[in-house]
Amino acid sequence: MLWVDKYRPKTLDQVMVHQEIAQNLKKLVTEQDCPHLLFYGPSGAGKKTLIMALLRQIFGTSAEKVKVENRNWKVDAGSRTIDLELTTLSSNNHVELTPSDAGFQDRYVVQEIIKEMAKNRPIDTKGKKGYKVLVLNEVDKLSREAQHSLRRTMEKYSASCRLILCCNSSSKVTEAIRSRCLNIRINAPSEEETVKVLEFIGKKENLQLPPGFAARIAEKSNRNLRRAILSFETCRVQQYPFENNQAIPPMDWEEYISEIATDIMKEQSPKRLFQVRGKVYELLINCIPPEIVLKRLLHELLKKLDAELKHEVCHWAAYYEHRMHLGQKAIFHIEAFVAKFMSIYKGFLIATFG
Amino acid sequence: MGKKNTVVISSSDDEDCGRPSRVKRSYEKPKSRSSFASTNPSRAKKPRISGSRSCVSKSLSNVDEIRLAFEDFNEVLNGFKVSSGSGKSNLKELWVDKYKPRSLQELAVHKKKVEEVKTWLEERLKTPKDRFNNCVLIITGQAGVGKSATVHVIASHIGAHLCEWNTPTPTIWQEHVHNSSAGINYTSKLDEFENFVERVRKYGLIWSSFPGERNSSIILVIDDLPVTTGRMAFERLKTCLVLLVRSTQVPTVIFVTDYGNEDSSDNTARWLEELQLSLQSAGASKVAFNPITTNAVKKTLTRICREEQYNVTAEHIDQIAKASGGDIRHAITSLQLSCLKPEQVLNMSLSDSAPSHTKEEANLYDGFSLPYGRDETLTLFHALGKFLHNKREAENVAALDQETFHVQEKFSRLPLKMDAPEKILCQAHGQARPIADFLHENVLDFLSDEAMDDAWSVTSYLSDADVLLASFRGMLARHNEAENILQSAGASVAVRGVLFGNSHPSPSRWHAIRKPKLWQIEQSSSRNQKEMIRRRYYACNISSLPEASVMATEYSPVLKWLGYRASCPKTHDLLMQGTDTQDENYEKMGIDDQESEISDDEIEDW
Amino acid sequence: MAPLLQSSQPWVEKYRPKQVKDVAHQDEVVRVLTNTLETSNCPHMLFYGPPGTGKTTTALAIAHQLFGPELYKSRVLELNASDDRGINVVRTKIKNFASVAVGSGQRQGGYPCPPFKIIILDEADSMTEDAQNALRRTMETYSKVTRFFFICNYISRIIEPLASRCAKFRFKPLSEEIMTSRILHICKEEGLSLDSEALSTLSSISQGDLRRAITHLQGAARLFGSTISSTDLIGVSGVIPQQVVEELYVACKSGNFDSANKEVNKIIAEGYPVSQMLSQLFDVVVEADDISDEQKARICKNLAEADKCLVDGADEYLQLLDVTSNTMRALCNMPQEFSFES
Repeated sequence: MLWVDKYRPKTLDQVMVHQEIAQNLKKLVTEQDCPHLLFYGPSGAGKKTLIMALLRQIFGTSAEKVKVENRNWKVDAGSRTIDLELTTLSSNNHVELTPSDAGFQDRYVVQEIIKEMAKNRPIDTKGKKGYKVLVLNEVDKLSREAQHSLRRTMEKYSASCRLILCCNSSSKVTEAIRSRCLNIRINAPSEEETVKVLEFIGKKENLQLPPGFAARIAEKSNRNLRRAILSFETCRVQQYPFENNQAIPPMDWEEYISEIATDIMKEQSPKRLFQVRGKVYELLINCIPPEIVLKRLLHELLKKLDAELKHEVCHWAAYYEHRMHLGQKAIFHIEAFVAKFMSIYKGFLIATFG
Repeated sequence: MGKKNTVVISSSDDEDCGRPSRVKRSYEKPKSRSSFASTNPSRAKKPRISGSRSCVSKSLSNVDEIRLAFEDFNEVLNGFKVSSGSGKSNLKELWVDKYKPRSLQELAVHKKKVEEVKTWLEERLKTPKDRFNNCVLIITGQAGVGKSATVHVIASHIGAHLCEWNTPTPTIWQEHVHNSSAGINYTSKLDEFENFVERVRKYGLIWSSFPGERNSSIILVIDDLPVTTGRMAFERLKTCLVLLVRSTQVPTVIFVTDYGNEDSSDNTARWLEELQLSLQSAGASKVAFNPITTNAVKKTLTRICREEQYNVTAEHIDQIAKASGGDIRHAITSLQLSCLKPEQVLNMSLSDSAPSHTKEEANLYDGFSLPYGRDETLTLFHALGKFLHNKREAENVAALDQETFHVQEKFSRLPLKMDAPEKILCQAHGQARPIADFLHENVLDFLSDEAMDDAWSVTSYLSDADVLLASFRGMLARHNEAENILQSAGASVAVRGVLFGNSHPSPSRWHAIRKPKLWQIEQSSSRNQKEMIRRRYYACNISSLPEASVMATEYSPVLKWLGYRASCPKTHDLLMQGTDTQDENYEKMGIDDQESEISDDEIEDW
Repeated sequence: MAPLLQSSQPWVEKYRPKQVKDVAHQDEVVRVLTNTLETSNCPHMLFYGPPGTGKTTTALAIAHQLFGPELYKSRVLELNASDDRGINVVRTKIKNFASVAVGSGQRQGGYPCPPFKIIILDEADSMTEDAQNALRRTMETYSKVTRFFFICNYISRIIEPLASRCAKFRFKPLSEEIMTSRILHICKEEGLSLDSEALSTLSSISQGDLRRAITHLQGAARLFGSTISSTDLIGVSGVIPQQVVEELYVACKSGNFDSANKEVNKIIAEGYPVSQMLSQLFDVVVEADDISDEQKARICKNLAEADKCLVDGADEYLQLLDVTSNTMRALCNMPQEFSFES
């Protein structure tokens, strides 16, 4: 098992980073009154960990007995029936799923699953009706319609189920949903906190950490705890005992993007643009999300640029990333960005060096 | 025949006055000509009407004449349906049927291919059955390249009997609803086909259905495969056919009609390919028929003209043959149609290659501007070629003449040496999305190396087009109309963007037009994603669903890096498999690329 | 095993005024309406004003006071934006409801019970123009037996023919004192303790919207128990601490792209919603007195664009970075045009 999973805190008491939030959550559920919750925060901040621990707090260990299944739904949508297939993870008391995986049909998924859950409510020992918890991931990727229908369903079935929503950016969740949930912001752990976690793991694994080593990993991981732990483990496999100046292996795709950036800086021509396209294709094949490709590329390019160009470049990155969401094929827009950059940079070179 | 002659004569009367005016008209607005380009006979009438109108003095007689011609036309059309009797001068038969090849010599198909099929059939028929474990031959090729004609001729040559399965007339849904009360069950074509194949497999062909020919050998011919919509139906068809291939004892020939390769975004084409592959792996042999060469078509046409005693010029035949795109059936039909009024055709084609255009351009046009041109798949490539090569006049004549409209230097472009892009699009029957994809894939080749700004403006326009083409995600009201407008607007932006953006077209070079690689990328990406999602539970073994993006960006690189040996060998295997399949994908893609490069149309420099 | 589910009624509902005269801070409106109640003569009405100022409360209170609990169900129809409101729904639902005849205008159980029905259309400005037009005809047809109460935030989004048929009431944002007294009342009922700093924070983050204030209060009470501090309220409301916004603004002023970029990264890592950031940055920019109007205009234009992009689903980091860079250029008087644009 990966360390990320091995040392994931199981209960709210074990949580190391967001202790205050964990205690508040504990208070919240012991009062037997759990509102709908919306967790938001950057990737790798610990949202999922908190949610799992919270479920365990509510339902006890039975929340950990989960099974994964591919579920099919047939939804009657007026004139036609829509077949949906989605992977869910469920225990007796909760269901977790990522509705945005269903693409355009996301709103049907939300409606159907909640309806279904409302139908078979668990009954507790005293014969009273309890509630189930539905964990929805990536709600910020839901379409407007799905969010709207989610809001309606939330009201309609509020007696039989509680929603725990999880997303990266709450800007993309409609006000209507936000105002019906208790919003909980999970900030990314600071570097000191990351170091603390790494040192904890190091102690458990009986590793000798040279001073400052954990801090370097933390710095490299950009306040993403999951990533920090993953690279910590890679370092361990790469070389042990650790050396203070040991290189921390970067992610392969990041290295690849930095290669692309170097290519772009070296030559600006349609031919080069075509080569860059081929490389971007390779990233897309490996399922690296296009917006992350663009963001990382911008990051790499900004590192190499003069200050006067940075404004312009970041404007166009934002512009084409926005277009990417409006359009269908990401490559068109990434390529347009690269072309724009090449064009600007070439102009800059000519203006500077003649 | 007599009647026919009068028509011809009177129409040549008309020619005296009609011709100049028509030719002149075509000078004035050559564009209107090509909009009539269609094989649809009802459209083909239009030029005549307009022609006669322009000639006022003789309008009365002209109208009569036209009416006559129409009656004649109708007769032919009716004749199509009746198709009675035979004989040389009988008009009431389609020439396609009439001049069906009767002997091996008459076949326009390449000799080697014919020989191949013939030996295959002879071997299967003459030697004892259990000698060969493959009794199925697949013949592929475009429509009208003589697939069935070849088999028919060969069968009659070696004296075998053909037993055909043709798709039965489909039951219309309403009809079914009407009948269902009478107790007749609805059987889809696919069901019927399955039944048929089942019967053949189990009982062989029942001899009694061919009384008196007990001793002759039999060839089973499956002409059109049932149309399948949807994956499920297709899978059924596939298993059914594979079973047939594995177990049949009777020599069987299956025809598979290729559709143009530009449709490959469409499922049908892909499925057909898949079908062929699986049949071949089940042991079937395959012969692919190429489009018939222009020369062979010409030879056949000339023979028919000779036999029909029409005097058609060689140039005319040449044009019909070229326009047919290797589809001989179409060429013969065109010939028959044109022989109703050969002058008409000549006239049209003359006006097209009239001095205002260069000879080269006339060739360009013949893909679609000849009234009998076949709507062929080639034109998509032609259109793309035009857009990409971006030929322009040497100087802007219009702007010099009338200085009404000024644009800034950097926005002005020389006039295009082609029709309005939208019209070409319309003629090419291109769908917006594939066109944008094709342009995106190929346009960079056509930019000159220095022109980085051009590259940006082209890609930026393509990005605009993509935004227009993306149907609004989750938008409830899907009005078809609005969608159509968006589609054509998107295509227009893509094409005009490419034309406008490429302000310094690179010196003409030869380029193959590639198939968009994007399609494969998308496929393999979604496959990988599924694979990853499937794997993530087993690899991670945690009690929560990780997000796909996190999985791709964080877990899988680390897992790959770790190799993840010691703790969990099973996962290791899985992962290795995963990377293997990825490599395979790359390899496969490489091969596909090569193939598509070879099979792609060679667009020459216009 | 499964825990019990307490009926967790939102405080917004629990503390909704039941009588028109209890509605806070809308004195003129209340005066007119009380008059209406006494004569039980009631025109079509249009309530507009910012959210959380008591529009829905007033409408519901009137309906209750006119008909009493018994007749309420049969006489009042509430439609709000979460119901499906296409043209057809408007036509059929309202028609069905309106066409059932009402009894005579007898006083029943101490309530006036005038001889008409009331249809309350909440969030009427989110209706399509077509639906509003359809409604206009419906209003005319059933004008004898129905009264319409329209409730909306923006009167400009109601088509003129509808608006002209109604008596219009403007609801103004609640002042701080009214809000405070209301909040304190609830705190007393629920047994919460709020210090004065928390109280002023609450009224400033809710910006005159009483409903939002109550929702935040309830959220904070659930999460943090009965003693609520100012930071707790900020945490629950999703508002970004002013200090963070100021830091970003200062970074913009410094003219150093890299330090601004670092600031943006920090904001993203902290998980603050960028749309909220934009609106708070907007406040800072508008109130700043050391920059020219032109600079403000440049910044605000870009803020608006970025906000739209966020709605379309664009990436938060990139949009905020773009805004920051643009703000920086405006503040440091760098040229607006890019120098290397082709």
